[in-house]
Amino acid sequence: MIPDNSEELRVRAGEYVLGVLDAHETNEVAAALAINSELRRAVAFWEEQLHPLSNLAASAEPPPGTWQAIEVRIRANAAKPVAHSFWTNLALWRWSTAGFAAVAAALALWIAVTSVPGPSLVAILHPPQQDQASWIATGGRSGLVLRAVTTATPPRDRAFELWAIAPGATQPRSLGVISPNGELKLSRLPPDLRDGATLAISIEPIGGSPTQLPSGPVVYVGSVKAV
Amino acid sequence: MMDNQTATLSSVEILIDAVRHGSQVALKRLYEIESRRLYGIALRIVRRPEVAAEVLQETFVQIWQNAAAFSNERGAGTAWLTGIVRFRALDAVRKAGREIPSDDPTLGDEAVEPDVIDKIGASAEADALRRCLKLLEREQQLCIILAFVEGLSHSEVAAQIKAPLGSVKSWIRRGLLSLRRCLEQ
Repeated sequence: MIPDNSEELRVRAGEYVLGVLDAHETNEVAAALAINSELRRAVAFWEEQLHPLSNLAASAEPPPGTWQAIEVRIRANAAKPVAHSFWTNLALWRWSTAGFAAVAAALALWIAVTSVPGPSLVAILHPPQQDQASWIATGGRSGLVLRAVTTATPPRDRAFELWAIAPGATQPRSLGVISPNGELKLSRLPPDLRDGATLAISIEPIGGSPTQLPSGPVVYVGSVKAV
Repeated sequence: MMDNQTATLSSVEILIDAVRHGSQVALKRLYEIESRRLYGIALRIVRRPEVAAEVLQETFVQIWQNAAAFSNERGAGTAWLTGIVRFRALDAVRKAGREIPSDDPTLGDEAVEPDVIDKIGASAEADALRRCLKLLEREQQLCIILAFVEGLSHSEVAAQIKAPLGSVKSWIRRGLLSLRRCLEQ
């Protein structure tokens, strides 16, 4: 759980930046970064303030060939222009890797060239810190469609709920509970959903979160991109 | 005028901005300026040169892809780069595990030395951090420095300094609380 209390939240952000949390707690913070701007600010604060401690690690010469290997990896990542706009969302920069960006770009392109009439918005959702594309959302004049592209089932007696965070917004807004067949359709495009917005899926009780906000962990996230 | 221009061109933030616009030359310059520092940070956390080299590669690929996010965040460029390399190094350690030789002379001793805080540099940020760290209790100070520099988890810090896990968690928690209050003053 990410603490509500602002003092506790900042301690958790500090523990995250120090790197003392276990894998589960780390993933929890990483996922919450997408939807919690106070947490993002707290993480940025600690990264800035603790940075001088990195001077205690002595500089060392990287093995020869490291730059050449980087060059090769960058050239292989031909998807750079699309990936670039995918990842302008500041909360998500840590999560992208060359592999995921390439898959995301290919999917976005595929959707853009095959769908008639084409959607105007696309989002590919993936587990925080993982590359696997798990859900695709497409939006346009005919509304919004979200579909699972891998087998994604919520834990027993739980449901997936979809949330939208408008660009610059601090609070997510529910777009509804995803049906057990892994699909959610809205006949109208919510106003929060535009280029630069974030979509997130959380685990909730059957019927959805009892509050206005996600009550369970965020298990998938993705940036909304205009195509 | 010339000197001024040279200084501007080599500043990390300007280079990141150029990378954001797709300049591989700027990325290479960034590598020339920052790779030794970032590799040192990674090596201290992952300990194995081949893993640290892989972490450094991932770091620069990520900088290439995500330079746009930096402009949004508007922090100091070097702190942003440090954040990326530490995150990648911690991730590598979590995935692959790490052997911590208890007799490693680079471990523990340095962080326990009373004057280690004096080695964190001379910038304004370093001065503030040093002043605030000195206000902490010795255990709090030690745990925070060990965690940041060696990338140790709560339980690894506990094993390293031979203290109960609960105490370590509480020292770090209380240390962070005091540190924040002091740094925000």
